[in-house]
Amino acid sequence: MDKAQNEKQLKINPELFQPAEYDPSKVEVITRPSLTFWKDASRRLLQNRGATFGLILLTIILCFALFAPIFSSYKYSDQNLRHAKLPPKMPYIEKLGVMDGKDKDGFDWYATKKVDKYYYFGTDDLGRDQWTRIWTGARISLLIGLIAASVDLLIGVMYGGISGYYGGRLDTIMQRLVEVLMGVPYLIVVILFILLFEEPGVLTISLAMVVTGWVSMSRVVRGQILKLKNQEYVLASRTLGSPDGRLIFKHLLPNVMGPIIVMTMFTIPSAIFAEAFLSFIGLGIKPPLASLGSLVSDGYKSIRTYPHLMMYPALVISSLILSFNLVADGLRDALDPKMRK
Amino acid sequence: MVKLLEVKDLYVSFFTHAGEVHAVRGVDFELKKGETLAIVGESGSGKSVTTKAVMGLIPKPSGLIKKGEILFEGKDLAKMKESELQNVRGKEIAMIFQDPMTSLNPTMTIGKQIMEGMIKHQKVSKDAALKKTIELLDLVGIPQPELRVKQYPHQFSGGMRQRVVIAMSLACNPKLLIADEPTTALDVTIQAQILELMKDIQKKTGVAIIFITHDLGVVANVADRVAVMYAGKIIETGTVDDVFYNPQHPYTWGLLASMPDMDSKGDELFSIAGTPPDLIAPPKGDAFAARNPFALKADFELQPPMFKVSNTHYASTWLLHPDAPEITPPDAVLKRRNLRTKAGENRGK
Amino acid sequence: MGRYVLQRLFYMVFTLFLITTLTFFLMKLLPGSPLQNQEKLTAEQREVILEKYGLNDPVPVQYVRYMKNLVQGDLGISFKYDNREVSTIIGERIGPSAQLGFQALMIGTLIGILLGSIAALRHNTWVDYGSTVISVLGISVPSFVLAALLQYYVGVELRWLPVAMWKGFEYTILPTLALSVFVIAQVSRFMRTEMIEVLHSDYILLARAKGISGSGIILKHALRNALIPVITILGPMAVNLMTGTLVIERIFAVPGLGEQFVLSIMVNDYTIIMGITIFYSALFILIVFIVDILYGIIDPRIRLAGGKS
Repeated sequence: MDKAQNEKQLKINPELFQPAEYDPSKVEVITRPSLTFWKDASRRLLQNRGATFGLILLTIILCFALFAPIFSSYKYSDQNLRHAKLPPKMPYIEKLGVMDGKDKDGFDWYATKKVDKYYYFGTDDLGRDQWTRIWTGARISLLIGLIAASVDLLIGVMYGGISGYYGGRLDTIMQRLVEVLMGVPYLIVVILFILLFEEPGVLTISLAMVVTGWVSMSRVVRGQILKLKNQEYVLASRTLGSPDGRLIFKHLLPNVMGPIIVMTMFTIPSAIFAEAFLSFIGLGIKPPLASLGSLVSDGYKSIRTYPHLMMYPALVISSLILSFNLVADGLRDALDPKMRK
Repeated sequence: MVKLLEVKDLYVSFFTHAGEVHAVRGVDFELKKGETLAIVGESGSGKSVTTKAVMGLIPKPSGLIKKGEILFEGKDLAKMKESELQNVRGKEIAMIFQDPMTSLNPTMTIGKQIMEGMIKHQKVSKDAALKKTIELLDLVGIPQPELRVKQYPHQFSGGMRQRVVIAMSLACNPKLLIADEPTTALDVTIQAQILELMKDIQKKTGVAIIFITHDLGVVANVADRVAVMYAGKIIETGTVDDVFYNPQHPYTWGLLASMPDMDSKGDELFSIAGTPPDLIAPPKGDAFAARNPFALKADFELQPPMFKVSNTHYASTWLLHPDAPEITPPDAVLKRRNLRTKAGENRGK
Repeated sequence: MGRYVLQRLFYMVFTLFLITTLTFFLMKLLPGSPLQNQEKLTAEQREVILEKYGLNDPVPVQYVRYMKNLVQGDLGISFKYDNREVSTIIGERIGPSAQLGFQALMIGTLIGILLGSIAALRHNTWVDYGSTVISVLGISVPSFVLAALLQYYVGVELRWLPVAMWKGFEYTILPTLALSVFVIAQVSRFMRTEMIEVLHSDYILLARAKGISGSGIILKHALRNALIPVITILGPMAVNLMTGTLVIERIFAVPGLGEQFVLSIMVNDYTIIMGITIFYSALFILIVFIVDILYGIIDPRIRLAGGKS
């Protein structure tokens, strides 16, 4: 600003005072690579430590549920009364002083009963291999979760979509029905419907959960559709004469995908939990078939003498629900457009 | 006139996942008592961050004042503790934000929100505070203030809410008012009313105002002096006349040329090509060089200093260097220079 | 507001009517009968019992009779416990369940709010991560697993607290804890999100610009605004506690409504199953209603607008 400064600048190489090249096209170059919505979302999902942990945990549980029963030398229903109620014993890990075939008082049952086999998670009171039963049970629990979630998805998206898209009187009537269904506590409805069947199986249990389970999905979809259908790009498409089908499948549904996926990811663990809950009050999967819930429930009956019968299935079911919740949380944050910067 | 606020060589950075964002890079300005300074610039130019630094409202721990002094009546605000700053905020310096729809607490009556600061800073009784609050609401032009004090923000329109925010800022008779785009979120007619109100208040109370805006029309209306910011630096500063009728920096030229006026009817509106630089890695020369059709090679290589144009007018571009070639500014700017000469002639008569 | 309340009340009664009707006909569809579990009955005895309960009448007649009695608060007679009124049984059993539910809700909400607020105030620090881990775990571990673990470790192994039964305050601690963990987790998650949003809002910045101190901002501005939306999850929370008591009471042998419900399911005691279902639904509908009204009272935006905006 003062003279000293101005004088200092006089020493600058005069060549620098040549006009520089000006190229307006260069100015408009976008410096960062553009990302599609889904690429961006998956990048953000993987940046979320909780979600990444959940994904890894979920993959591990899925692998065990798929392959452990196949590679096991026992079937989930194989009984061997001579080998009943053995504590867990796993090769290699036994050297660490855990899962070494000793019960909580330090008594080695494998030596006493002269068993030279390994039962990784021990055996139950009929001598069935818990390892095989737990991973078979995980399959059943996952299956129930998947069926319940997909039927929820189907009904919920259609109901919510129709209600939200057409609106008006139809919407009012449809929403009254939803209000009635929401008036009964969820698990009570499930219990009442299970009672209809003498021998509830995988399918009946899953469908009992759908009876009112789809309502939350329909509300999410309806809310989104109501919000989206008056946005300018939808109105523009409508003005151009697009038929309803095109509006729904090209403009509305793709934008509702995020919330639908997140909702489904939350439905699966809650169905798994609901089945376990039913097992605990004696309405779940019947033996010899087992689910994680029925294993926890059976294990609870002998928790004082054989804690391992409850601890392992409890650990697996909690980890399974945890992993789904973590991934669902991560997805919700990753798909939230507000978070997109 | 006495200096009220003096900002010296201020650097503010934000630490994000992508890296350090150099939001403010060496800003100097000063403000005298009762004066109005407008800080103009586009979004991300650092104008809001500068004033938030003055208020000590840079979000921690992501943001940090890296260097510089903020002298308010001689005391350095940049070095004050949070507890000391609390006695300056609201009492000595008050602030008005851009969006009146979100800047009021939705679950507190506006009366309580206005009285809150008074009770904290001036230790007045509730009755006295209420009386003053009603006076303030009357001053900012809210009808039936006795009834309105008990109401909640959602019962007011946008313009009325901004009046409430202004009343709130005046609660403790501050010496400096920082208005961060106070009219941007309002309708044009309401904008004019709010600007009138602020001028009126300044006349009555003698408060100094820093006016942040990207709207040059607003600047011409309210300010005594203008500072133009670009990419975290002040690139030109002067009186309103200096900057409007004799602009020196090509960025200021661009800003003025892109402002529509009555004469440019039918012409295509001018726009500055490109986008502001990424402040994670600021350019080493003049930050505007890449978008500047008049750029010299020096603009890409070296940071231009502030060249003195007149006693009140400074600009930071190598074009002002004695060795720089003569260039012809765009028509819009030449037109403005002529206007000034004419205005001077008229005044002369 | 008055009209809104009346309208809501009408819909509540209507919803309850539909639920009762659906439950009634569902019960008629159920396989098995409460009589099949009892000692062998001769055809004659069977006939006497069916006649006594009016089960020989056509279903529509039974339905009308049931609804008539229901209006007078009569839920019928239990099959299992001879001649005992369902409403009396519910009355006897509600005490422990209500106490458990209330304690769990109070403790859960208080700790949840505290945990969520602290996490938000210390956003992205280890306090925040710790509280997030606790709440995710609390949502993921089923309450009966938690109850069983508490019972086994605290009750059986450590002998700090009674393992089961219902004989005084110390007997309520473990079941309350087991029930409240889910509440803590839900409330703290919700509270954290709300609080973070509020703390980033313009009005908090303006309050700071007014020179209000940190604690003043949290207590006077942030907490109230973050708490209002938390009220909305109290409804789902109550349902969760209600169904939670079914297993928790069974595990801890608490003589509550949930335990009775599970017991009745096992012996096909229809009238009690129906009675408790209707009771639960009525309670749930009432809670949702109260929560909505409460929301309207606390949030000035809804209060003065007169109804939901």
